[in-house]
Amino acid sequence: MATMTTEVLVIGSGAGGAVTATRLADAGRQVTVVEEGPWVDADAYEPFSLDEMVTKYRHRGLQGALGNPAIGYVEGRCVGGSTEINSGLYHRLPDYLSEAWQKKYDIDEFGPEPLARYATQVEAEIGVSTLPTAPPPSFAVLERGATKLGWRNMEFARVFRYDQAGRGTKQTMSRTFLPRAMAAGATVVPNCRVTRLERHAGRVVGIRAQRTHPDGGRENLRIHAEHVVVCAGAIHTPALLQRSGIRHNVGHGLKMHPTVKIAARFPYPIDHGDVPTHRVTEFDPHLTIGGSASLKGHIAMALAEATHDIAEPLADWENISVYYAAIRSEGAGRVIALPGMKSPLVTYKLTEADMSRLAQGLVHLGEVLLAAGATELYPSLTGGPVVRDLEGIGQWWDRATRGNTNLQTVHLFSTVRMGNNRALTGTDSFGRVWDHANLYVNDGSLLPDASGVNPQAAIMAIASRNAEHFLATR
Amino acid sequence: MLWFEREVVQALGSSTDQDTRSAVEAFVDGSLRAMPEVPRLGVLAETVLFGTYVKALAATGRLNGPEDLRVLLDRWESSRIGPVRLYVHVFRSLVLFGENELGSGVMGDAA
Repeated sequence: MATMTTEVLVIGSGAGGAVTATRLADAGRQVTVVEEGPWVDADAYEPFSLDEMVTKYRHRGLQGALGNPAIGYVEGRCVGGSTEINSGLYHRLPDYLSEAWQKKYDIDEFGPEPLARYATQVEAEIGVSTLPTAPPPSFAVLERGATKLGWRNMEFARVFRYDQAGRGTKQTMSRTFLPRAMAAGATVVPNCRVTRLERHAGRVVGIRAQRTHPDGGRENLRIHAEHVVVCAGAIHTPALLQRSGIRHNVGHGLKMHPTVKIAARFPYPIDHGDVPTHRVTEFDPHLTIGGSASLKGHIAMALAEATHDIAEPLADWENISVYYAAIRSEGAGRVIALPGMKSPLVTYKLTEADMSRLAQGLVHLGEVLLAAGATELYPSLTGGPVVRDLEGIGQWWDRATRGNTNLQTVHLFSTVRMGNNRALTGTDSFGRVWDHANLYVNDGSLLPDASGVNPQAAIMAIASRNAEHFLATR
Repeated sequence: MLWFEREVVQALGSSTDQDTRSAVEAFVDGSLRAMPEVPRLGVLAETVLFGTYVKALAATGRLNGPEDLRVLLDRWESSRIGPVRLYVHVFRSLVLFGENELGSGVMGDAA
C-alpha cells in the first residue's frame, strides 16, 4: 500500500474545499487536496450537455432522495465539485437567516457583519458580475412577466467575468481558487476516493483511500495528516463520517430546495445557450422563481412529464424554454451510510405545507410565464394538464399531489450543522467535529438550514471564515 | 442491462434509425450502471417483477409487440404506486435525453 504524508488533508475540491485549501496554502501550510472525480478542463464540454453529465456529474446525474414523492438531485464529481456544473448564480446568505441561525445554534462570530466581511473578500477574488449587455430573450421573460404583474424581480449576479465583447466565463474552482492554491504549494490529487478515516483517542490518525490511475488500475493509499478537513458535500461528508464511526448529529436534518418546473412555449424563438439570471423575488424567502437549463434534451424531458404527445411541441423546441419554482422546504431528510456500499441511502420527507407551497409555486410560475407571453405551459405534473390560459392553471391546485408531482433539486445542505449547541450540531462554531482534535468539516453540510438562495456564496464565506479561525488557533 | 430493461428502452424510443437506437441503449445502460447501489437494486427488482408480468401477458396473447408494451408503460407512469410510476419516468427521461442530445440525426426522428 502506498503512503502519503501532508500537514493538512482537504477531502473534496468544491466551493468549500477549494477555498479552504487556498487560505491554508496562502498562509504557508502544506496542503493536499484529494478529489474523487477527474480533472476535466472547464471548457471541454458544453454546459448542461450529455457529455458534461457523463463526465462531471456524480452517478451521471441519476440520483434521488427516496420519499413520497422522491426528489432527484445532482452533484458534481470532478475537480472543482459542483461549481463546475452549476449555473454560477451568486447570492449572499440573507441577513435574517444568519441572525436566526446564530441564535438558534449558538454560533460564535457569525451573523450579517462577520459573514459580509468574508463574502466581500471572496467576491473580489473570484469575480462576481451582472450581465454587461442587454439580456437575451430567455432572461427577459421573467422580468417582463413579473413587471406586468407588479411582482418584485431582479437580476442575480453570477460568478462570471466578462470580456469587452460581453462573453462570460464562469469562475469555477478549477479556474480560480485551485490554481491559486497550487501556486502557493498545495497538491491536488484527482481520481482519489477516501473510503475511511482511522481514529484513535479523539484524533484522526490515518486516512484510507483508493486512487484510480489513467489506465484504470487502482491503488490503495494510506495518507497521514496532522489535520483533516472534510469538504465532500452535504451527502458524502456525512457518509464518510458515518463510515468512520462518527455519528453524533451526522447525516440527520438534510435540507434542500425542492423544485417544480414548467416548459413554456412562446410565439417566437428563445435562446438556449445559458441559464437565465433573472429571478422573481416577490415570494421570498419561501419561494423563488427562475430559469433552468434548456437544451433540447431538457425540453423533451420537461414536455414528457405533462404529456406523452410531445412530437408536435418538440418540433417547435426552439420556441420553448424551461423555468422553475423552488421552495425553502420545512421538511427534512437523512443520509445513511450502508455497510459495503459506496453510496449512502438518502431520504427526504416533504411536509404538507411543502406540498402546498410547491403547488403555489407552480401556479405563480404559470402566471408569470403567461403574463410574459407564453402560449402553452407544460408543468412537471404527470399527466399535466397542459394549459394555455389563467383559467387552466387553476386545475394544477388539485393535480399537484404527492402522486403526480415530479421534483428535482440542485441545493443540498445541513447534514453536519455547526454551532455550540451540541444537542443540535455535529461540529463546533468553526467546523471542528465534536470530540475530535484534528477533524473538521467545511462545506455546505455546516449550513444549519436551507439558505433559500443558491448556497455557493454562503459556503465560500463560511469556509473562508473557518479557515481563518483554523490558522489563528492551530 | 437486463432483457426487460432493453425492451423498455426500445418501446420508449422514437427514433427509426438503428444506430441512434443502439447509441441510446448504450447511454441508458451506462447510466444504469452508474446509479447508486440502493436505487439500482430497486430498479433491478422492479425489472424482474415487471418483466415476469409482461412475459406472462405475452404468453397468454394479451401483449403483442413494442406498441402494446408502450401503452402498458404509459399506464404504469400514471400509477398511484410511486415506485411503479418512477420506474417508467426514469427510463423515459433517459431515452428522451439520449435521443435528443446524442446525435443530430435524431432531431428529425423525434419531430
